[in-house]
Amino acid sequence: MTTVALVVGGLLAVASVLYVALPFLREPAPSEDRLDEPGTLERRALELAEERDRALGALKELEFDHRTGKISDDDYRELVGPLRRRVAEALRALEPRAESNEERVRA
Amino acid sequence: MARSGSPVRLVVALSVAAALAVFLLYVSVAGGTPSIQPSQLKGRSGEVALVGKVTGRPSGDPHTAQGYRFRLRDVEGSTSVPVVYRGSVPDLFKVGREVRVEGRLRSGVFVAKRDTLRTKCPSKYTPAKRA
Amino acid sequence: MPELGRAALVLCLGLALYALTAGAYAAKTRRRRLARSAQNALLAAFGAAMVAAVVLLAALLRHDFSFVYVAEHTSLELPTPYKISAFWGGQEGSLLLWLMILTGFSAAAVAFGRRSGADLLAWVVPVLGLVTTFFAFMLVAVSSPFDTQVAPADGAGLNPSLQNPYMMIHPPFLYLGFVGLTIPFAFAMGALLARRADELWIVTTRRWTLFAWTALGIGQLLGAHWAYVEVGWGGYYAWDPVENAALMPWLAATAFLHSVMIQEKRGMLKVWNMLLVILAFCLALFGTFLTRSGIVSSIHSFTQSPLGPWFLGFICLVTAGSLALVFSRLTLLRARTRMESLVSREATFLYNNLLLVALCLTILWGVVFPILSDAVRGEQITVSAPYYNFFLRIFGLPLLLLMGIGPLVAWRRASLRSLGRSFAWPAAIGLLTGGVLLALGAGSSRAGLVAYTFSAFVLGSIGYEFVRGARARRALAGGSWLNALSELIARNRRRYGGYIVHASIVLLAIGVVGSSVYQTVREARLEPGQSMTVAGNRLVFRGYESRRGPNHLAIRANVDVYRGGDYLGRYRPGKNRYFAEDQVSNEVSIRRDWLTGGDLFLIADGINDRSLDLKALVKPLVNLIWISGFIFLAGALVTLWPSAAEQRRLAARYRELRPLVRA
Repeated sequence: MTTVALVVGGLLAVASVLYVALPFLREPAPSEDRLDEPGTLERRALELAEERDRALGALKELEFDHRTGKISDDDYRELVGPLRRRVAEALRALEPRAESNEERVRA
Repeated sequence: MARSGSPVRLVVALSVAAALAVFLLYVSVAGGTPSIQPSQLKGRSGEVALVGKVTGRPSGDPHTAQGYRFRLRDVEGSTSVPVVYRGSVPDLFKVGREVRVEGRLRSGVFVAKRDTLRTKCPSKYTPAKRA
Repeated sequence: MPELGRAALVLCLGLALYALTAGAYAAKTRRRRLARSAQNALLAAFGAAMVAAVVLLAALLRHDFSFVYVAEHTSLELPTPYKISAFWGGQEGSLLLWLMILTGFSAAAVAFGRRSGADLLAWVVPVLGLVTTFFAFMLVAVSSPFDTQVAPADGAGLNPSLQNPYMMIHPPFLYLGFVGLTIPFAFAMGALLARRADELWIVTTRRWTLFAWTALGIGQLLGAHWAYVEVGWGGYYAWDPVENAALMPWLAATAFLHSVMIQEKRGMLKVWNMLLVILAFCLALFGTFLTRSGIVSSIHSFTQSPLGPWFLGFICLVTAGSLALVFSRLTLLRARTRMESLVSREATFLYNNLLLVALCLTILWGVVFPILSDAVRGEQITVSAPYYNFFLRIFGLPLLLLMGIGPLVAWRRASLRSLGRSFAWPAAIGLLTGGVLLALGAGSSRAGLVAYTFSAFVLGSIGYEFVRGARARRALAGGSWLNALSELIARNRRRYGGYIVHASIVLLAIGVVGSSVYQTVREARLEPGQSMTVAGNRLVFRGYESRRGPNHLAIRANVDVYRGGDYLGRYRPGKNRYFAEDQVSNEVSIRRDWLTGGDLFLIADGINDRSLDLKALVKPLVNLIWISGFIFLAGALVTLWPSAAEQRRLAARYRELRPLVRA
């Protein structure tokens, strides 16, 4: 029993150590070892993307609520304008980033 | 309504205050039941929860007017008090087991409230059983 | 073999420590390979934990009594299923189960979380590593299932009250719930540590939270049913600290589930959500601490269990650390939007949250009150059912009402006009039901009548939502009502799944109200031939019968039940006396009326030479409680169901930004 236990235990330990060391064994001398982290630009873009999705989601829900009769026609008319504008703004806010980045790359 | 002191904070604060008020009112009015052991019973006349180990020889019938009679002693001690109980007796009840029963002391005998007898589970992991 | 188990646990501890330290270092200094290595350590820790679990399971099945744990919790004649359930029947084994589930969930979270947010994951790993380190340490140094002894001839066996199928499912479900809450907690802390102000952590853990919450809910329902049919005092919940230990994190998780929706839709309540997830996780830890340390039943039990101080220390560390972290990142969490109106769906969600948290905290107060009063006044003062029931009514009834109001109100703002129209039908249904019930005599309990009226209102509002939605679907795409309904649910899984869950909670409430405030209880001593009446049922005692089983003596009282002139059957409440353990167990007899949903519950309270002390309860609508469990599960499955469209959208959101920054 104990020999089996020793062997299995030993194998387990070795396997674990190997697995833990794997990233270093695979790339002993990598070109870069940096953990990707969103920079300020990317964070801002993420924020805007979330805002865009929120606005889109709210618009979708407004439509749904209107179709199912939870929001009256008057309320719908009142709310849909500002929401659509919000969506447009959010989409616009994301676009110029793409443009300005492309310019920088090309330059 | 979109002022700098947003209504959310006001709502939260008022709700918390209201809840707290209700809560304090109740707790002070209803109180709770002190859990004490037989050695601490002396001189107390109010309603308490008596915690102790069953000792002596239980006799009587809990479903009759005369009641079930046994003694409870301190968990770690020897002071004991006679108890008279009416109502359901939990399955785990036996001499030497730790139990809890509510009631009050009357002329040296602890008169228990109906159906309030509970046993503490002997095993430290399984949850306590009840009547 | 125990050496292998011990070694596996030590290995698990080492890997968890590595995940904690190396992971934290890698996240701080942004080293990719080291972060990956720490992730692998968590995955390997799962392997090690599994090996330890297999060792224990094998020992249990082989009845290897050289293991102290096996000898304490099994015996040669114990049926195999209970040998398996003995795994978690004791302190050390249940800790190992916790570790197994924790490492398993951590491994899954890491494996699936690799898809996006490497920086977030880098910080999640050390948090998971910290929790795993604690539990592994407890198993290695404080409470090991692999202690050995000279093997006795036979083991101590399992307490007969634990030898039933519930022991197989109730604890595992609860553990899936408790441990499951670790994942959203770890991701929340990870997001704070990584200084991410976005919703990635919420989006990633939404299904985890739902899953844990569902498991915890089902686990509690199973426990309640166990108590009802097996322990048999006529109830299903006694506000025992151990029961509250599971209820409190569930309430906090319910609040969290709802408020997270507000954050997703409006970007608000970020701080509140952080606090809620911390509360839910800490309550889960606190709950298991309560159950294990015995601290609340008696202050003296604290010293009996060495686990208590360790758990308490860990809980304090986690609470203090996570609160400090939130505080240090407050500027990150500031919301930019305001709640526009007190009459909007966000507002109802906020009220719902406040009520849930208030209920949770009052239960917590009731649970710790004895400990606090002991410290302050030198004696334990306990509160019991009246305290809890009072607050359940105060907070529960408005919560019930809100479940009906929420769906009818739109996000952002609802004009009173459209509100009035939406409310008309459900309110009418509610009031009509209330009136009918009042006429039928439900006015005997004010709270009960109010609860029923609210319940009808909520069911009406939920039904109305389904009808409106299906109608709109049909108007859009044609087809039958059934088609429209299934399309509606399929396209709006979160919303309509949520409605189904709400409906199940309402059914639960109806069942609880009916079986508590409207129940009838009668007790009598009956000689053979004598009868008693309870709520129109005449119970006649016909005498005793006894039967010898393999390890017990079963005594049953034959009771014939009549209603009006009809004979409803013979029921046999009684007791079993177990020889080996010298224990008596209560065996109740339940007559289920499927038409009315109520139960006739018979307890043989006292078995005397000739007479029977019979206690009979009539509990209206109690079976709705168990039925609600199935509907709850169905609704939860609908909300949990993966949606390809949603996955695509989220993947796009978090990955499309990469090309933007490759400059």
